[in-house]
Amino acid sequence: MTDVSCSRFRLAAMRLIVSFGLALLPATLHAASPAPLTSFDAASATPRPIEETTAMAVQRDYAHAWQSLVLALEENRADLLNENFTGVARQQWQSAIATQRQNGLSRRIVDHGHTVQVSFYSLDGSALEAFDNADLEVQYRDGSKVLYSEHVQARYVVLLTAAENSWKVRILQEVPAR
Amino acid sequence: MNSLRHRFVLGVLLALSSLCAAQPPVLDTVQAGAGTTLQVPGAGSTVLYLFGPAGVSKREVQRGAVALSGDELKVAGRYTAIVDGKSSAFFVTAGPLEKVSFIAHPSRVPAATSGAVLGSAFLFDRFQNLVLAPTPVSFRLAVDGTAGEERKVTAKNGVAWVQLSSGRRGGPAQFVASSGAVSVRRVVQQVAADPCSIRMRASRAADGNILVETAPIQDCSGNAVPDGTIVTFTSVDAAGRSTVDARIKRGFARAELPASSSATLSVATGVVMGNEIRWGGDQ
Repeated sequence: MTDVSCSRFRLAAMRLIVSFGLALLPATLHAASPAPLTSFDAASATPRPIEETTAMAVQRDYAHAWQSLVLALEENRADLLNENFTGVARQQWQSAIATQRQNGLSRRIVDHGHTVQVSFYSLDGSALEAFDNADLEVQYRDGSKVLYSEHVQARYVVLLTAAENSWKVRILQEVPAR
Repeated sequence: MNSLRHRFVLGVLLALSSLCAAQPPVLDTVQAGAGTTLQVPGAGSTVLYLFGPAGVSKREVQRGAVALSGDELKVAGRYTAIVDGKSSAFFVTAGPLEKVSFIAHPSRVPAATSGAVLGSAFLFDRFQNLVLAPTPVSFRLAVDGTAGEERKVTAKNGVAWVQLSSGRRGGPAQFVASSGAVSVRRVVQQVAADPCSIRMRASRAADGNILVETAPIQDCSGNAVPDGTIVTFTSVDAAGRSTVDARIKRGFARAELPASSSATLSVATGVVMGNEIRWGGDQ
């Protein structure tokens, strides 16, 4: 093989790699988009005030939990819940995803933000309860067909518990808005 | 039967639901596990989709009254039913309290310490839904044979908490959280606090050394300080300072200090200093 044909081959291979990478880019960006926390109010937490570093960790982990839930429900991937969910919350959403997958259904959520107010932070620092007013657009799908779309102002009661080096969602229970 | 009693017609005409889109409707609620009925207008069959927080279903149904079983509606949260491109949502809320998840902290605590025992109780129904209605919860901490301490609180948003002082008597304290017929028990080991005071006496050993021995070492509530606690005996004389660390064994600590014709003997454990003895040549 001559030098010219070699360099052409390399160029073509590089073009292919770049094109393939660009094709993947939108999906990657979509997966990485964070679930925004519009506000996080820990002032009314009882019986113990929340330390600043704890508040930051909770915000980071809760936002990440929503990010993974949104992706898990859209792509029917229960494994995405393992990092940020535990206990009942993980079981319930895993079950939801399993039945979605079984029926060829999915939910696409566009997350417009969360207003979180902490109501309880345990004296031993192991558990935290909060109310989350979430602004969501939910698209219900059967395969690629959109069954219905709605914009909901959802209110969740959330129980987070401290794990080894993060906070995990143990309860994520939607309640009627006040 | 219970399911039937609680079953009611939501009265939702799916065909009309889109008319209410401008204003958020007040959604109906169903108790977890009770089941309900959806009214699907028209004749013939159609496909009903039901999206919930712990499961979804897709099935062909005959129009009219469509029953949703209690099994489908066990988990609290929003459920969205979709038929013919129209939707209807309703909430499932927690049922009566059936389970208390109780976290007690710490597992060992010094006796007679103010606010040292913490408890948090989380209230759930039989399907693991958080019971958000205000619910009375009683906390009790006591060693057998003592009155202990009891506190009644009302759970708010499914959580009740308490901060109690440990009792004066050492031993395994039963820490109980109860609400209605549901009761959960944890054991908090109450151990002696720091020694209240320490007394020693000295005598000459057969080999001429100084034998020092404490009186029973107790905390201020009369609980024996645990065996293994270090007690330090010190002797200061013209030759210098000698120190011996001894462990409490069966409530006492004893040690031998080097022989001396004249010395000052002292004893300490933790932050507590004991008595001093001036050891003379004639003792």
